[in-house]
Amino acid sequence: MALSPPSPTPSIFKKKSNNSLSPMPSAASYLSAVSQADARARGHGATPTSTPALSLSSSVTSSSEDTVLDESEDNTDGLLHPSKPPTSEQVFTTVHAEFGHCANEEYRYTSKHDPNTALDHVDIDPPYYILLSTYVSYLLLIVIGHMRDFFGKSFRPSSYKHLMPHDGYAPMNSDFDSFYTRRLKLRIDDCFSQPVTGVAGRTIVILNRTTSNYNVTLEFTGNKTRTLNISSYNYLGFAQARGGCADAVEEVIKRYGVATCGTRLDSGTTDLHVAAEALVAKFVGMEDALISSMGFATNSTFIPALVGKGCLVISDEFNHASIRIGVRFSGASVRMFKHNDMGSLETLLREVISQGQPRTHRPWKKILIIVEGLYSMEGTLVNLPGIVALKKKYKFHLFVDEAHSIGAIGPHGRGVCDYFNISPRDIDVLMGTFTKSFGAAGGYVAGNKTLIDALRLRGHSGTYAEAMTLPVLTQIVASMASIMGITPSAAPIKGALTLNPSNSSSTIRASDVLEEYQHPGPAPASALPPWMNLPPHLRDGSEGRSRLRRLAFNSRYLARALKKLGFITYGHPSSPIVPLLIFNPGKLPMFHRMMKDRATPIVVVVVAYPATPLISGRVRFCLSAAHTKEDVDVVLKACDEIGDILDLKHGAGERWPLEEIINRSTELVNQ
Amino acid sequence: MNSTAATSVSSTLLPLFAILTSSLSTLENTFYKIPGSQVVARYVKSSHQNDPGRTVLELILVLFAIRTLLKSRTRTDRTGKHFISFSEKEIDELVDEWTPEPLAQPLSEWEQHDLSAVSVVQGANGPRPKLVSGKTVLNLASFNFTGLAGNEAIKERAIETLRKYGLGSCGPPGFYGTIDVHMDFERDVADFLGTEAAILYSQGFSTISSVIPAFCKRGDIIVADRGVNFTIQKGIQISRSTVRWYDHNDLKSLEEVLESVEKERKKRRGPLTRRFIVTEGIFEKDGKMVDLPKLIELKLKYKYRLVLDESFSFGTVGRTGRGLTELYNVPASQVDMLVGSIANGLASCGGFCAGSQVVVDHQRINGTSFVFSASMPALLAVSASEGISILRNQPSILTTLQENVRAVHGVLASIVGTLILIPSHSASPIIHITSKPQSHSSLSPTAIPLSVSSSISGKSNPTSIIPSPSSPSYSVAEQIFDADAEERVLQEIVEECLAQGVWVTRAKRLKGQEMVERKPSIRLAISAALTRKEVEKAAGVVKAACVKVLGKRK
Repeated sequence: MALSPPSPTPSIFKKKSNNSLSPMPSAASYLSAVSQADARARGHGATPTSTPALSLSSSVTSSSEDTVLDESEDNTDGLLHPSKPPTSEQVFTTVHAEFGHCANEEYRYTSKHDPNTALDHVDIDPPYYILLSTYVSYLLLIVIGHMRDFFGKSFRPSSYKHLMPHDGYAPMNSDFDSFYTRRLKLRIDDCFSQPVTGVAGRTIVILNRTTSNYNVTLEFTGNKTRTLNISSYNYLGFAQARGGCADAVEEVIKRYGVATCGTRLDSGTTDLHVAAEALVAKFVGMEDALISSMGFATNSTFIPALVGKGCLVISDEFNHASIRIGVRFSGASVRMFKHNDMGSLETLLREVISQGQPRTHRPWKKILIIVEGLYSMEGTLVNLPGIVALKKKYKFHLFVDEAHSIGAIGPHGRGVCDYFNISPRDIDVLMGTFTKSFGAAGGYVAGNKTLIDALRLRGHSGTYAEAMTLPVLTQIVASMASIMGITPSAAPIKGALTLNPSNSSSTIRASDVLEEYQHPGPAPASALPPWMNLPPHLRDGSEGRSRLRRLAFNSRYLARALKKLGFITYGHPSSPIVPLLIFNPGKLPMFHRMMKDRATPIVVVVVAYPATPLISGRVRFCLSAAHTKEDVDVVLKACDEIGDILDLKHGAGERWPLEEIINRSTELVNQ
Repeated sequence: MNSTAATSVSSTLLPLFAILTSSLSTLENTFYKIPGSQVVARYVKSSHQNDPGRTVLELILVLFAIRTLLKSRTRTDRTGKHFISFSEKEIDELVDEWTPEPLAQPLSEWEQHDLSAVSVVQGANGPRPKLVSGKTVLNLASFNFTGLAGNEAIKERAIETLRKYGLGSCGPPGFYGTIDVHMDFERDVADFLGTEAAILYSQGFSTISSVIPAFCKRGDIIVADRGVNFTIQKGIQISRSTVRWYDHNDLKSLEEVLESVEKERKKRRGPLTRRFIVTEGIFEKDGKMVDLPKLIELKLKYKYRLVLDESFSFGTVGRTGRGLTELYNVPASQVDMLVGSIANGLASCGGFCAGSQVVVDHQRINGTSFVFSASMPALLAVSASEGISILRNQPSILTTLQENVRAVHGVLASIVGTLILIPSHSASPIIHITSKPQSHSSLSPTAIPLSVSSSISGKSNPTSIIPSPSSPSYSVAEQIFDADAEERVLQEIVEECLAQGVWVTRAKRLKGQEMVERKPSIRLAISAALTRKEVEKAAGVVKAACVKVLGKRK
C-alpha cells in the first residue's frame, strides 16, 4: 500500500508507525528502517536469555515485570481474597482470584435432564413500547448515520478516502457494506474487543481504555482494573495458572518444548496426540476421536469430508459460523429449520426426502443434520430426544456440535448425551472444542472407527493444518482426566462399575458390555503419559465432580434468580449461558458501562444485531465453576439495580425481592 | 311480488347498511385525525380523477408488496414448477424406500496403508526425534526450518507466560479474548516486516482461507496462480468472486491475463471493482519461488491488490527470515495482504496477516476465522514473539539454513535429470522431489487429462485452472502421470529412507478434493538445527534410496 497515503484513522499504535514506518518511498529507506527496528529491538535488551518486556502496550506506563498482575489493588471488594476467611478444615490450593473458594456443600447441584422441562425455544415478547422504541432507535441510528455520511463525504472527504475509489483502485470496503460497522458498532466499540491480561478465570484484569474522539481510536490509560469475569467460556474453571493442570503443562514444556512442527499426516504426530485422542474417545463414549488444532477449523475442515455434491445438510437456523463455512466449503446443499423446532424439522425432512434433489428429483445421497448441543447466543439445549426419535424414522445422519456443552452439561460432564441419558452411539458424529470447559484450545471429532479414519485422511486438517501443540494437548489430557477420575490400571472394568453404579445399568447397552470401557466411566491410568503426576484430588475425580456440581448450581441459580427479579431471560435452566434480554440498542452500552463502573466491577458481553435478531439485543452471562455463590449474588445485585434504572424488568411470573432470592438460593435451585 | 320481496330484503339489510355507514364515517373521522392524512386523501382523490387506471395499478402494487412481505423467507419452493405434491402415504413410502449412503466410505487398502505408515514421534519433535518404533532418525520431514523447536529461551518464556496467563484464552477476540500478548505479537511481527499493522489468527491453515473472502466479494476479480495451495483454493471458492487463472509461476502469463481482464472491463464499461492477485511466495506444491519485484511491478501497473501467502517463505528466506520481501529488498508495505504462518516459520502455532491499518482493522470484523474462533493461547503468542526476537538477533540461523539447503541440492544434483526432477527453487527450504518420467511411449494415452485435449488454442483458458498443453509453461513431463503408481513408488523411497534412519515424507494431498491433481512428490524440509554433515548424510540416504527404487523401474 505504498501508493496510498497512510490510513486516515490514527492507529492504536500511533506513535510507533508514525516514527519509523509510515511513508516508505524507496526500498533503501525501507531497508534502513527495518535495520533500525532491529537495532531498537536489540536495544531493549530482548536477548533470548534475558526477560524481554511483557509490556502491555506502548502507551502503558512501565511497571516491573513481577508486578504486572500483583500490583496494589483495593482488596476490599473481595475479588482477590474470599470475603469469609477459610476455616482450618478447609484447605484451598487454588488462587481465589482464578478459582473462587466455596466450601459450602449446599451450593452444589447435579446437571441432569428432567423430563418436565420444556426444550422448545420460546421468544418472550417485551411490552409493545419497548419493541416500538427499539425499532425507532435503530431507524434513528440509521438515518443519522446516513446524514453524517452524506455531509461527511462533502465536507470531510479525507475521512472517507478508504471508502472511495482512488488512483484507479476500487475501495477496499464499500461504504454500504461498512455502514453498520462505522455508524452503529463504532458508537459502542468500547464494549467490544476489550484487551485483557492474565488469567481469564473467576476474575480478569482489563486494560483500561479511553477515547477522545468517540471511539475512533481507543487509547490505553495505563491502568488496569481487576473485574469479576462473567463473560469467558471458562465453564469448569480450568483457566488457571496454578494447580495440577498448569504443573503438567509446565512439565511438558520443560521436557518437550512447544512446537510439533508439521501436519498430522506428514510429520507432526506425537505419541501424546495418539494418547489424547484415545482419551477423548473414552470421554465422549465413542469408538475413536481425532483432534484438530483449532475449534473453528474442526467444523470448517471436517464437514467437507463428510458431505459433498448431491448431499443435503439440514442445519439449525442458529448454528455457528464455523458450521456454515464448513458446509460452504463442502459444496453440499443446505436447508435450515426453525431453531430447535422438531415440528419444523419433521416437515422439512418429509419434504426433502420425498422431493429429492432439486430439479433432478434424484434421492439425496446423504442427509446430515447439524445441530449444536448448547446454543451460545440463546442458551437453549438441543432437543436431542426428539431428534434421535426422528433419526430412527428418517434415517438421516446426525452431527452434534458440542462446542459449549461438552464438559458443561450432564451429571458426568460428558455433554448432551450424558444429560439426556442417551447413548452417544446413537449419534453419528460428536464434535466439540477444548477452548471452553477444558481451558485449552482446539477441537475434536468423535465417531466410529471407520468414520474417524476416513476423516483423518480426507479432512483438510490432517493433510494441511499444523498439529496441536504439546502444551495444549497436555492441558486437555490433564483437565479431562481430572473430570473423569483415573482408575488404577489393574482392573479397569471393576473400577468403572464401582465408581458409577447408577449409570452402568441404565445407559449401557448389550453391545457395549463386551467392551472393556464403560461409559461414562473413569480414565484408564494408561491413557496418561507416565511423567504426568496429577495431585490426588484431581486423580480421584473428586475435584472434577465438585466443579461440575458447582457449575450446575451457579447456572441454575443465576437463571432462576434473574427470572424472579423480573428480567426476560432465554434458554434452558441448566445452561451455563444465560442471556438477559435488553432489547433497546441504547441500553446495551449503558448496561455494559454501568456494570464495569460498579464498586466491584463486572465485565459482561453485550450482543446485538447481526449476532442476534434485530430487536433482541442482549447481555450474555457465562457462568463458571470458579464463581462462588457470593459472586452470583454480586451479579444479581448489580442487575437488580441497573435493571431498575434501565427499565429492563418486563418478565412475567412471580417476583421475589433480592434479599429473599439470596437467602433462599438453594430452594430456588432445587425447585 | 318481486318488489315486496326486494323491500323485505332491503329492510332486513337496512340496519346492516346503517352499521356499515356509521363505521365508515368513524373510520373516516379517525383517519382525518391523523396528521397529514388530508394531504394523502387529496392526492388519492386527484390522482383517481385524473387517471382511474392508475389507482388500480397502485392498488395492485400495494397488494403485491404485502404478498411479498408475508411470503415465507425459507426457500421452500412449494409453488415452484419442480415441486411435486405427494399424499402423506406416498411420502411415508418414499421415506421408507430411501436408503442413504454411509457417512464415510471405508478406507481402501492403500489408504489404510498410507494412514498406518504415518510416523509417530515419541515425545518431542526436533532435528533428531525418536520415533515410537524406537528409532532415532534425522528429520527431513518436519517444518522446523529455523530450528526453534525445543529452543530453551522459548521454553523459558512459555513457562513464564503459563504462570501468568494460564493456558487457554477462553474466548473469541471480541469478547475478552484479546490478551496483551496478542497485541504484542501483532506489533512485533508488523515491526519485523515493516508494515503498519498485523493481525493474529489462531491457525496457520485457516488464515488465508479467511483473509481472501474478507476482502473479495461477489463481482470482484481474483487473478490467481494455477499452482496455489489448497487453502487458497478454498478461500477463492467461498469468496464467490470472478476468478482468472494464470500459468504456474509464469509472470508473462499473468501479464496477459491482466491485460485481457482490463480489455474486458473496458469493453463492458462496468464500474470499478476490487481486483486482487493471489499467489504464494514459495509454493507449497512444488517449492517454486515467485519473482516478487516483477510481481509488484505488474500489480502497480494494473492497479491490483496483492495477496501473498508467505507460509513457506516467512522465517525461511531473507537475511533474517523476513521472507521474500527481505530477499528481494521490496518494502513489505507494497504487499497489500502479506499472509504468513507462525507454525512453519516460528515453530509455534497460528498465522498472521500483515498490511496497512485499514486492511488489518477490516479483518478484525470480517475475518471469519478471526472473529468466530477463540483467540490463541497466550503462551503460543509469546513463543512466536520470542521466535521473532531470536531471528532478529541471530542472522546466522538463516545462513545455516541456506547452506543446508544448498548442501542437499549439491548431493542430489548427480541424479537430477536422470532419475528425479526437483522443481523447487534453489533457496526454498522445502525441496520437492518427483520421479523423472519414463519414455513417453510407455505411457498409456488414457493418462492424459480429458480437459487438456479439448482446448485447442495455444494459450490456456484463464477461466479454467487446468492449463492448456501447448502453453509454454506446460511441461508434459510434469502433467502426465499415473498418480497411484507414482505414490506407491515414492512411498517405497520414503520407507527405504526411514529404514536407513532418515525421516522424509511424501507431500500428502487430498485426492478428489483439490482443483487440480498434482504430480506426487517427496517433500524434504530442511532445518537449520541439523549440522552440515548430518544434512549431507541424510541427503545421501535419500539419493541412495531414489537410486535403489527408481533405478529398479528402468
